[in-house]
Amino acid sequence: MPEPIVIENLSKYYNKFLAVDSLSLSVTENSNVGLLGPNGAGKSTTLKIMCGLIRASSGTVYIDGISVSEKPVQALSRIGAIIETPEFYTYLTPEETLSYLGRLRGMNGDELRQRIAEVIRLVRLEEWSAVRIEKFSRGMKQRLALAQTLLHDPPVLILDEPALGLDPRGVVEFRELIEEVGREKTVFFASHQLVEVAQICEEVAIIDRGHLLAYDKITQLEEKYQSLESAYLQLTGEVL
Amino acid sequence: MSEFEKLRVVTGYEFLKHIRRRRLYIILGLTILVEAAVLIAVPLLMEEGYPDNVMVMAAMLSIGPSLATIGAVFFAGDAIAGEFEGKTGFILFTNPVRRITLVTGKYLAGLAAVALLIVLGYVIVSISLLIIYGTVPVETAKSFGLCLLYGGSVLSVTFFFSSISKGAMGATVITLVFIMVVSAIVDSILIMADKPHWFLLSTNGDSIATVYGGYELFLEGFPMAGMNIPSQWFKSPDISLMIVSMIIYLVVGFVLSVWISRRRQLA
Repeated sequence: MPEPIVIENLSKYYNKFLAVDSLSLSVTENSNVGLLGPNGAGKSTTLKIMCGLIRASSGTVYIDGISVSEKPVQALSRIGAIIETPEFYTYLTPEETLSYLGRLRGMNGDELRQRIAEVIRLVRLEEWSAVRIEKFSRGMKQRLALAQTLLHDPPVLILDEPALGLDPRGVVEFRELIEEVGREKTVFFASHQLVEVAQICEEVAIIDRGHLLAYDKITQLEEKYQSLESAYLQLTGEVL
Repeated sequence: MSEFEKLRVVTGYEFLKHIRRRRLYIILGLTILVEAAVLIAVPLLMEEGYPDNVMVMAAMLSIGPSLATIGAVFFAGDAIAGEFEGKTGFILFTNPVRRITLVTGKYLAGLAAVALLIVLGYVIVSISLLIIYGTVPVETAKSFGLCLLYGGSVLSVTFFFSSISKGAMGATVITLVFIMVVSAIVDSILIMADKPHWFLLSTNGDSIATVYGGYELFLEGFPMAGMNIPSQWFKSPDISLMIVSMIIYLVVGFVLSVWISRRRQLA
């Protein structure tokens, strides 16, 4: 069985700027991996390539052994993703949005209706499920974004700063939720929040200027650098 | 799940978008307003009431459905550019759907919305002609077909500009300038120079009215007696050439928009 996420020698140029530089790593099944790095480190670029939103200049990403660049439809059917701060069609309600996305993924009928109700309950949007999204706050949209990642019960979750815009209670609920679903899924999770990553993930990949600086278990990094924070600061050269 | 089934889903939800947006109803209102204005103004301006020739009145009433085709620009301006500008692409494009399916679904939904306006426009035209003249000329069906084709070609051109524009507003403005300013100016210059102009999108739009009998007949409806109008103004391009031109705009615009959308990255 192939590893759920394999990144092989991935590079991405934006004109002459090298955003990701020969990045290679693989994520084992059902593990939760945090992708850490300062602004401009290449985290979002990596995640966007993984989701087929941008093309790599070289290298390949495999999801469950399927190349994202060669077979994007098959690869994307295995993931649920939140990239940046996504927006939704304001003329639809959460129920309609999830129905649209679910139907695009081949779900329908009672199965879809039940699943929509489940994920809406999971992200606590029950009272807003029939209200048009134009009235939604950033945090509510982020909850809906999380609901759509879980809708089709994908084996791989790719999350880019998913707690952005959530209020403190929302952040805590989100962590608990990801911790729970992460037991049965592979989660690849980019964040600036070391605490958040430490709570959700067992392993972290630290990148800067597109380079992979470390990819190890958090406990190993804590042993070597005393804390995850020290490891991050020393490796990224952001020593205070 | 087949791409055809996904296409049906995309088309359905995109059509829902048009139905729920105000712009459909604004353009519908404008179409009804224009038709009402023609029906009220013509007998007031012409001493003998409505023209004797039903074809003249039918040609004049075709202004309403022609206006509805411009709705295509407002329906399609944000179709592709909006996904990038509004960040909705971060949700839509991470789904296992090919870009060609998404663009085609959006196109079909836009076409359905424009067709809805055109159908309503021709219902008004037909009822008006029936009440005033007791007959609806067969050319009305041809005008309807040409109007649909023109709407489709305007939609394709808008999709092309939407695929290359950063923003929806930019795509809408560029398309309107292309059709109503650039194409219209070149059209006027070529008419004055007595050169062929059947390949211009603005000229193609005239076919909706000239199918009833050419520019001369159409202008009969306007009070222009005594005006010294150059003869080349009355030369209507061959309808079949204009059909070919509209099909080319429709196909090329759509194919280019799909090709560009597939290559476009959501950085």
